[in-house]
Amino acid sequence: MKAQTRRQWITTHEWMVKPMRQKEWISGKGILVWLAEVFSALGMGTYLVGLLAGISEITTWAWWATVLGWVLIVLFKLPFHLAYLGRPLRFWRAIPPFTKAWRTSWLARGMFFSIVFTGAGFLQIVFWYFLRWGDLSASASDALTVLSWIVGIVAGVFILLTGVYCGFAMSYCKSLPFWNTGLLPIVFVIMGVADGLALTMGVNLITGADEAAISDLEFWSRILLVVNALLIAGYLARAYQRHSAAELAAQDLIKGSTAWVFWVLLVILGIATPLVISVATAFMEGDTEPLLIVAIVCHTIGAFALKYSVLKVGIYRSVLPGVG
Amino acid sequence: MRWGMVINLAKCMRCHACVAACRIEHFLPLDITWVKLIAHEVDEDGAVEVSTYPVRCNQCADAPCVHACPTEASHQREDGIVVIDSDKCIGCRYCVIACPYQNRTFYSKDKDPGYFPGYERTRFEKMGQKLYPHQRGTTEKCNFCVERIDDGMSRGLTPGVDRDASPACVNTCQARALTFGDLDDPDSEVNRLIRRYGGFQLRAEYGTEPSVWYIDYRLGGNDNKAPREAQTGSHIQHLSSVDRDAFRRIYGREPADAEAKP
Repeated sequence: MKAQTRRQWITTHEWMVKPMRQKEWISGKGILVWLAEVFSALGMGTYLVGLLAGISEITTWAWWATVLGWVLIVLFKLPFHLAYLGRPLRFWRAIPPFTKAWRTSWLARGMFFSIVFTGAGFLQIVFWYFLRWGDLSASASDALTVLSWIVGIVAGVFILLTGVYCGFAMSYCKSLPFWNTGLLPIVFVIMGVADGLALTMGVNLITGADEAAISDLEFWSRILLVVNALLIAGYLARAYQRHSAAELAAQDLIKGSTAWVFWVLLVILGIATPLVISVATAFMEGDTEPLLIVAIVCHTIGAFALKYSVLKVGIYRSVLPGVG
Repeated sequence: MRWGMVINLAKCMRCHACVAACRIEHFLPLDITWVKLIAHEVDEDGAVEVSTYPVRCNQCADAPCVHACPTEASHQREDGIVVIDSDKCIGCRYCVIACPYQNRTFYSKDKDPGYFPGYERTRFEKMGQKLYPHQRGTTEKCNFCVERIDDGMSRGLTPGVDRDASPACVNTCQARALTFGDLDDPDSEVNRLIRRYGGFQLRAEYGTEPSVWYIDYRLGGNDNKAPREAQTGSHIQHLSSVDRDAFRRIYGREPADAEAKP
């Protein structure tokens, strides 16, 4: 094909004739989008877990988990997204009230969600700090508790939206059948929360291990890992049925050029290893800390691998009738 | 009013004149093309041939790129043309991803190596930087030569009829394979062609309502084959020195109506 077309004095374009990979969000500078998406998931998961853990009692590790989640979003996700833009100094144009595009655009919505979370999350962290370590009078403590609940709910809702919008932004693309499904945001959110549980375990270890809390976190991590493994299997099975381009993407994941990322980094390291360690440590006595650290590292590698493999196998349908 | 284009695949002889005309009209950097010819293989009775589809932005009535744009830089005019305000574009490339037809290009530094890399810019390029500046870090696409349409209409001209108000690719097509006009006008030439020859849109199932239609009047309907013979026939037909007699001498038969009439 190439030999035939190269003979012409102007190269005839061949793309979109056969199913073709998207490159804008994974190749070259597109790597920044991948990193931003990974930190979205990690930040969302860690913040949510910390927030939910601190509802009954604001513990040191729960507070640090919310701080880590906030930092991952504000200092990693957002800068990576901004660095990717062709015109980063114009980023404000994507934020309401400078745009009305939030009515249709998931990116504009995402910007809005992230910014509201940045503010509400910051206030929640500050309020929790004073509630945990501040020397407050009873009335001040009561007032601050109410305020921390309000900003906590706002921050919780908006961090969830921040985590979920990436999935919706991708699933909006009709011509990328592998992405164009409502399952994608669910997979991203559940995997994000599972990774957040792992990072929170890490925070817990660093701030002084709370055995009971780690045990609880491991329990939920086990459940989410199993759910996610089933979801991913269902997602791939569905891709095979949905469309030839989606099937091609699934085949690429399972036995193509992206297979090593999928099998080694995602399935074996990201899901199977943490699951096995989590089950094993439930029956083990003695020091399980080294195993936990391995599980946390594997979990985090899995977070990077999931987004990479999904972005990498975004394959367009051909534009020509009767082809693909 | 909704501007649209009909592309006659049987007449298109893949001369790339539309690609070149667009580049000249808009002073496009070397690695950016708003109009493309995409090649695909067709099996003609066991012999694999290469055929082509001319593609450009479909100016969809329900454009995914417009919905995806977070800054409203991509927007739709009342006449249906989707345009990009480069001053508003932040270069997020969501529109590039969302366009089902992949007709948008992100203008990055590597897309503009210069027409002759390593040498001084040509006068044409320098003139383009003044007359039609492109902003790096933003997204670009075909705009149906909106400047020509607006300018022509302000002078009372009719796009698709008067050359000064019609897109450059339509004007330059020597095979007259491109027809431009108002899709909302049932009596327009574009609608007549669509009705008569069973026009079809690319991937109509997406529900994007493209304003670019294709016809292949030898085969009709939703078939992607544009026989080489028909292409060659229409080529010959547009060479002033070659007439029906010449066609008979070359092919040894009478030209079909489709080949004989523009």
